[in-house]
Amino acid sequence: MPMKIVKTETEDELAVYRIMHARHYSLLLDKNRCIGCEICQTVCPREAIEIKKPTKIEGQELTSPSITIDENKCQFCGICNTICPFGALTLKINDERTVPVLRTESFPQIIHEIEVDATRCPKDCNDCEEVCPFDLIKVSVDRNSGKVNVEIDKDHCPCCRLCEAECPYDAIHTRKIIFGSITVNNEKCPDGCRDCVDVCPIPGTLYTSTEGKVHANEFPCIYCGVCRIVCPVEGALEIQRTSVHHTPVHSGAWNKALEKLASTEGMAKELRSKLIVKAQESVRRRLGKEVR
Amino acid sequence: MIEEPRIGVFVCHCGLNIAGVIDIEALTEYARTLPNVVYAVHNRYTCSDPGQEEIRKGIDEQRLNRVVVAACSPRMHEFTFRRCVSEAGLNPYLFEMANVRELCSWCHPSNPEKATEKAKEIVKMAVAKARLLQSLTPIEVPVTNKALVLGGGIAGMNAALDLAEMGFKVYLVEKKESIGGHMAQLDKTFPTLDCSICIEGPKMVDVSRHPNIEIISFSDILSVEGYVGNFKVKVRKNPRYIVGDNCTGCGECKDVCPIEYPNEWDMNMGVRKTISVPFDQAVPLIYRIDMDYCIECYKCVDACGARQAIDLSQEPEEIELEVGTIIVTTGYDIYIPPEGNLYGYGKYSNVITSLEFERLILAAGPTAGHVIRASDGKRPRTVGLIQCVGSRDVSSYEYCSGFCCMYTLKHTIQLKEHYGDDVEVYVFYMDMRSNFKGYEEFYRRALEMGVNFIRGRVSEIIEDSETKNLIIRAEDTLLGEPIEVEAELAVLATAAVSSTGAGDVAKVLNITRGTDGFFMESHPKLKPIDTPVDGIFIAGACQGPKDIPYSVSQGAGAAARAATILSKTSWQIEPIVSVIDPDRCRNVRAKCGICAQKCPYGAIRVEAGKPAQVIAATCHGCGTCVAECPSDAITQMHFTDAQIFAQIDAALEKSPEDKILGFLCNWCSYAGADLAGTSRFEYPPTLRAIRVMCSGRVDRDFVLEAFRRGAGMVLVGACHLPYDCHYISGNWRMKERMEALAKVLEKLGISPERFRVEYVSAAEGVIFAELMREMSGKMEELGRQRMMAENEKVKPYLDRMMARKRPKQRVIVQTRK
Repeated sequence: MPMKIVKTETEDELAVYRIMHARHYSLLLDKNRCIGCEICQTVCPREAIEIKKPTKIEGQELTSPSITIDENKCQFCGICNTICPFGALTLKINDERTVPVLRTESFPQIIHEIEVDATRCPKDCNDCEEVCPFDLIKVSVDRNSGKVNVEIDKDHCPCCRLCEAECPYDAIHTRKIIFGSITVNNEKCPDGCRDCVDVCPIPGTLYTSTEGKVHANEFPCIYCGVCRIVCPVEGALEIQRTSVHHTPVHSGAWNKALEKLASTEGMAKELRSKLIVKAQESVRRRLGKEVR
Repeated sequence: MIEEPRIGVFVCHCGLNIAGVIDIEALTEYARTLPNVVYAVHNRYTCSDPGQEEIRKGIDEQRLNRVVVAACSPRMHEFTFRRCVSEAGLNPYLFEMANVRELCSWCHPSNPEKATEKAKEIVKMAVAKARLLQSLTPIEVPVTNKALVLGGGIAGMNAALDLAEMGFKVYLVEKKESIGGHMAQLDKTFPTLDCSICIEGPKMVDVSRHPNIEIISFSDILSVEGYVGNFKVKVRKNPRYIVGDNCTGCGECKDVCPIEYPNEWDMNMGVRKTISVPFDQAVPLIYRIDMDYCIECYKCVDACGARQAIDLSQEPEEIELEVGTIIVTTGYDIYIPPEGNLYGYGKYSNVITSLEFERLILAAGPTAGHVIRASDGKRPRTVGLIQCVGSRDVSSYEYCSGFCCMYTLKHTIQLKEHYGDDVEVYVFYMDMRSNFKGYEEFYRRALEMGVNFIRGRVSEIIEDSETKNLIIRAEDTLLGEPIEVEAELAVLATAAVSSTGAGDVAKVLNITRGTDGFFMESHPKLKPIDTPVDGIFIAGACQGPKDIPYSVSQGAGAAARAATILSKTSWQIEPIVSVIDPDRCRNVRAKCGICAQKCPYGAIRVEAGKPAQVIAATCHGCGTCVAECPSDAITQMHFTDAQIFAQIDAALEKSPEDKILGFLCNWCSYAGADLAGTSRFEYPPTLRAIRVMCSGRVDRDFVLEAFRRGAGMVLVGACHLPYDCHYISGNWRMKERMEALAKVLEKLGISPERFRVEYVSAAEGVIFAELMREMSGKMEELGRQRMMAENEKVKPYLDRMMARKRPKQRVIVQTRK
């Protein structure tokens, strides 16, 4: 059978396939999880992902941008699968979830760091469950032991930290995946426009003040960049990513991705810190003690 | 001192081939009456030993200084007789041939009287040219004792090995990453069923280890310049991003590479890593990074470590090779049925091609030797093998691909050997062609193993949408009734077609392709390995589909042919080149350079204020520049204006309005006319043919002179446009020239149907005969009276036009003599 490259799209899913006689690949996008941010598009080494900006309908909230995958460019490496903070993409080879770039450590795994100390939780509180914008937290109480159980679907969590902020008992600790900063230049911001607020997946990150200007709240921002995509004025919204929380890796592909995601300086910084770690490790190996 | 020509005419009976139609006695008698003919005899076979002896005796005893043989086509025996006269001490170029067989007796068998008349005029034309022939010395060129073999399949490898063993340096240029060709893709070989790579692998290693062979793989050929013995070939080495000398072929890089992409080698059924070799036995065993897929994670660089074989900054590199001969062994491609084909290939997942089957049943293939269906990964219990997919089909490829019957038999036997009675095998065939050593026995073996053979072409295949089984419909022509077989897998024996790069190779090397796309040999029987270009040979499936033993033999044959050149220190080139008369060249006074512009080979050098200069060794002798020169300063040796004018005069001396004067190019139209004769296609004896090397040589003046002389019709016969011309673009130059001339002639009052430019290939004998019939009919329709009236009207104009030219022409010849 000749090789076939196929793309299908339904309301919930976009899928590209490479079907070969004895091996088939598929990349599936869960449209309900995808918010149309720029992370996967930025890091795709084949530039196979494109973002479609939403069309604005007067009087309605702006819908999220959507992404489309060029089936002829996609090489099923799995980078998008790894990097997506929302876990919206899935790569399968012969119907098995596989990420080739992780297998060979050619790309890091991003770390969704969420720690819950359920012993602090009283039985009647489910504030975190309520505040989670993606319904990823389930709080339950074990009937027999009376223990509180907090289950979090980490794979799909972009680590906005709203739960941590909401928790009155200091029971949840999270760490951002992407670090950086967001600035709204109000003098450039057009009057009455709230497109960015409409598309932002984390409630409260962007908000309009009483005089109608948009302001940003650093704390929950995940620096996904969806606001910048829809912003009609260049320079009105600035996002600077500085680093990504990930498993240690030694890979040119990651350096490149980081350079695109953050900046050349960001990449250089990470490389430097890696060098320092390497130097420290070798000293430790030789002298048998920690040197700072 | 001009020597008075003493011409001897030798008329050949050719058994009854000529004598059966033409009155030989009368022809010989007539020859004696021609000017400067001092001796004329006839004999049964002039080309035989006694016949040749008679020529030598004639030269000796009659002091002949020109010889005309009236026999077959010069394309057949000109060389034989040239050698014969030179043995008798005469310059070989003082010989001329009158083609009274292919162009006369063979094509006018039912009109002996007219045929004899025509033969007389053919001899007369030959004698007229012979009177003006000049002694010429062949041009000697040095020979570079190295060879280029283009394509590293089984034919190319054998050619390279043989030449290398003879002691010649060989460059083996291969487009793909590894040598081996299609044979390396196969599982078993018929009829012995030995493993293909097991017998080819060692040969590939031999090639790579031979000190005289340099493999230049993953490279493209960009241009070829020069001529026999002295080719300059530009090759581009594409970057592998691997330093070949440092790569040990260990494959550690492959293991850490994350990216897989479809492996073309596996017919895209399996995958390979971005850094990999296409198959384990690849030669040279140098890995390659496909930059289209690389994500630059540098894991391979780490794995390679101190070997430092990876260089991601590599660029394409151009190199120039100097070689004496080129052997083309570029092989074939497999036909892929297009979308919407009757067999459902590409639409139904369980329809595969034979080459895909080959990869499936191969233990090292993508399924580790398990024949499985793409739809469910299960082993098929019934397999239908369908023959002649694309081949022997007028709507796709008319020819028989030759080896499909045999490999299909191989597949049936393999299926039976692997799965025994657990698999039912059906073969749908048109004719079972098993006509070489051991092949018929192989067929019998398949029959005895219980394979079902159904004689009939498959009309369609449809899929059962539930089971994904295939319903094969055909007519069993032995029983004369329709048949339907439900198979779980259908295997299509698709045609072998000319390789996709063949067109580019043909253009770069200036060799021709047939209508089927395969390269054309010089002669289908006697020169099957030669091309029309001296020093370039073809072997293997690039000339037409061939199985392995045939390709191997041809590779060895091509090596032997190439060695006939390489073993010499110098080579003689025919001296039929252009010569420029510096006194007449306009470039001295004005800016001209037309000749250099029109020369297809860049063989003319023009500098301001100096006469143009021909680089004799680069000149291929088409004569295009001669026809283009505005001041008639260029002469083509052996095809001078004077000689051709003499032929025109001789042809049109008697009742010219009954004749078609044809200028036919040696390689296509003249060969086509020969073929019409060889095939005994009869046509009216109206043609008087003048052979030129290329239609580009046909000067406007020739046509004008023909009409001035009162010719009924004039024909210029050329190779087909756009690429068939043996001299790259001579036919294009002729076309431009003749289109302009046609307008002038029409304005003057010549009916446009009387001046024709036609394109006839060497294979189109039937078309040539048809053309002659059609033109003769048209001539009759127009009527003598009308043509004579037209000629009468234009004669004063033409007289004036030619008066300027003719005396000069005569002068130039006189001085040259």
